[in-house]
Amino acid sequence: MTTTPTQAVHWDLHYDIHLGATWSRFMDGLRDQKILANVCPACDRVFVPPQAYCESCFERTDRWVELPPEGSLEVFTVAWHGFRGGPTPPYAIGGVRLDGASTLLMHWVIGLDFTEPATLLAQLPAGSRVRAVWAPQRSGQILDIAHFEPARD
Amino acid sequence: MSYRAAVVGAGITDATSPRKQQLSAVELCQQATWAALDHAGTTPDTLDGIVVGNIDGFEGTVLGARNLTRALGLGADLPVTIINTGGTTGGNLMQVAARMVRSGSHARVLCLGGPTFFGVRDLQSAINTNSPMIIEQPLGMGAYHMGAFAANAYRQRYGLTPEDLAAVVVADHEKASRNPHAHLRYTVTEDEVVNGRPLSSPLTQPMVCPVSAAAVAMIVADADDVDGLRSTPALIRAMGMSSDPYLGGGKGDFAEMQNLATLARRVYALADVRDPAAEFDVVEIFAPYAHMQPMQLEALQLAPPGGGVELIRSGATSAGGSLPTNLSGGPKCTNAGVAGELAPYAYAALQVMGAAPEPIQVPGARRALAHGTGGTFFQFENLAIFEALPRSDR
Ligand SMILES: [Zn+2]
Repeated sequence: MTTTPTQAVHWDLHYDIHLGATWSRFMDGLRDQKILANVCPACDRVFVPPQAYCESCFERTDRWVELPPEGSLEVFTVAWHGFRGGPTPPYAIGGVRLDGASTLLMHWVIGLDFTEPATLLAQLPAGSRVRAVWAPQRSGQILDIAHFEPARD
Repeated sequence: MSYRAAVVGAGITDATSPRKQQLSAVELCQQATWAALDHAGTTPDTLDGIVVGNIDGFEGTVLGARNLTRALGLGADLPVTIINTGGTTGGNLMQVAARMVRSGSHARVLCLGGPTFFGVRDLQSAINTNSPMIIEQPLGMGAYHMGAFAANAYRQRYGLTPEDLAAVVVADHEKASRNPHAHLRYTVTEDEVVNGRPLSSPLTQPMVCPVSAAAVAMIVADADDVDGLRSTPALIRAMGMSSDPYLGGGKGDFAEMQNLATLARRVYALADVRDPAAEFDVVEIFAPYAHMQPMQLEALQLAPPGGGVELIRSGATSAGGSLPTNLSGGPKCTNAGVAGELAPYAYAALQVMGAAPEPIQVPGARRALAHGTGGTFFQFENLAIFEALPRSDR
């Protein structure tokens, strides 16, 4: 069967997303090498990234705390195959439970030996300690944390 | 008073790869719509509403659903409701249509899901635009990268092997091979699945759904006004939706589907289901990736924690088993975007109507569970329970 007739459509659009008060404060913190979280007054859950209200209690979050740049890697995946416009594979993305946080912070994880695909989970099993590595140049965005690396004390 | 809503007709087109599809999106939608009308034994003039969906950006337009409905040939006066809830759009269509009918504002509503993954050249790139901007989008995640988080967490929690995940895929393909509407109708071996091209660990290409082109339509109607209709209605006995936080990091635990478990308890209570594993004749769940079906079976109380793969390996979820699940082959073998998300509802309803494609019909099915999910990290869940509603006029 021959390929069916198609015609190309292309989008190339740029946007400016307004961060608002809560995420601006978080991003300002990253520039200063601080990870800021906020706390629900009703359930005491600690959100990072912070959020303006608690999605469980519908309460406004009112208290800010600084979290340490260390935590446990709960889960990760290695992207062997990426997509147009994305990072060059392979790269690892993980969910990090910073000490004191109730949520996971998603970020890149380094320190895996990609030449041993069968041992990936054994290399960084759930609960492995990781710490944030700061980007040398920071501009108030999530990639001010360059990535998380294994914390071997 | 409130009204009861039922599915009285469903139409599912055959699925192909986008490359081989000879019909346009509108033509596929017309085909599904006419098949649903024909199954119900009615005509467009008996409809009083359309609920249709699209996913912004996936079709190179944000007007996909609106443009579509004008071209269906159903007349110019039908009010159109457009659902645009990302990956969960298709699962929400029937929920919205059923609420319209239950409220009494509408009596006969067409639910239409088109082939929304049809045109985009790099679907993962499009899906990345749906991931939370600013915080998670810069990390480079498409659909299966985000899906892989749960696969790894679940594997670690219960010590599952790649072969265990592959067993789910083998079963799905076996089922799809018997469904005339399915896209991937070939069978596979565990070896082929495990050794497939790695996409995002632990998922290989055979563990991930295809991009399909197909359309699905259903007619949701007042269950007590079926004069002139040809079908045995599938009563929507209970339904519901539930959400996790939008950020992937807001999920409590990637190794279990807590949000779905919460929703299941609520929907089972509405239908007075007390022993789920014994009370459904057939189940259709939205499981596009290998790890999802076992995890969902567990969240739905159909398998014990960590026991989903064993249940699938036992044959219980195959044709003739005690809990036939995804006899359509599921979204693992056919995923046409909004149509793919509506499909579990259509197949489950068709089963209790006795009108599923003959090779996958469960003889005498009377009660079915249908499930949908979507969102970049599958934050959004929806469920419905159908029951055969024998016609009093026959
Ligand atoms: Zn709270």
